[in-house]
Amino acid sequence: MAVVSVQGQDLVVEMEGLDKLWALKSRLTIPLANVRGATVDPGILGEPKGVRAPGTHLPKVITAGTFHHEGEKVFWAVRDAQKAVVVELADETYTRLVVEVDDPRAVVAMVEKATRR
Amino acid sequence: MGRRRSFDEDEVVEAAAKLFARRTYDGVSIDDLVKWVGVHRNSLYGVFGSKRGLYLAALRRHVDREVRPRLALAARPDAVLTWDLLLLAAVDRAPEDSEVAGLVSSVFAELDAATGDPGVTEALLGRWLRGRPSVDVPTEDDALETAPGEEI
Repeated sequence: MAVVSVQGQDLVVEMEGLDKLWALKSRLTIPLANVRGATVDPGILGEPKGVRAPGTHLPKVITAGTFHHEGEKVFWAVRDAQKAVVVELADETYTRLVVEVDDPRAVVAMVEKATRR
Repeated sequence: MGRRRSFDEDEVVEAAAKLFARRTYDGVSIDDLVKWVGVHRNSLYGVFGSKRGLYLAALRRHVDREVRPRLALAARPDAVLTWDLLLLAAVDRAPEDSEVAGLVSSVFAELDAATGDPGVTEALLGRWLRGRPSVDVPTEDDALETAPGEEI
């Protein structure tokens, strides 16, 4: 599970508990200007994820870490597909983040509000 | 980093508009868009950024291509509106999304200008709502294969 928050001009994604371990990352800070949008997307778990390096991938249990697929670098931290949120980025190391959050709709609303110009 | 665009962006937006015209925003999943619109998930995110990004592109396309060019026709007596995406946006998304609200408001104002009377606009909107129960709802396949009707 990840906790997503807006802190000043940044979007902050913090991994909780053991997910820090699986994802090999405890915190990501992204300038809001580089956040293109957020979407509730349970179905994304069914997509090919590419090559994991580094991180943990136990299909159907946990997808966590950095995945390389078709030239894109995607950060994953998801166990429960129903709670997956996709955050699309620009000009960042990661093309997008796919993270599990407690309340996907609330997170999407928060990101949209913070990034609306 | 270059983005791969192995699809026609306008076709994707048009197909998405058809889907969003039939269902509420929350009723359309990314799985639905991938399946019916025929766009890869990664491309959808890469080009539009989010579901909202694609929705806004679809709504703007609908307004620019289907609504604005036909505003004058709406002034005719007994005109029947078929702008389902716009009208669904007014009901479903405008209260949630200020950008949608702004676009819908400006189109309604343009409609007032075209009809010359806000009362005519209200009657048009009322007739659209009144006619909903008797609309022949095509199946999903029909809806996405059939071209938009000739009415306004």
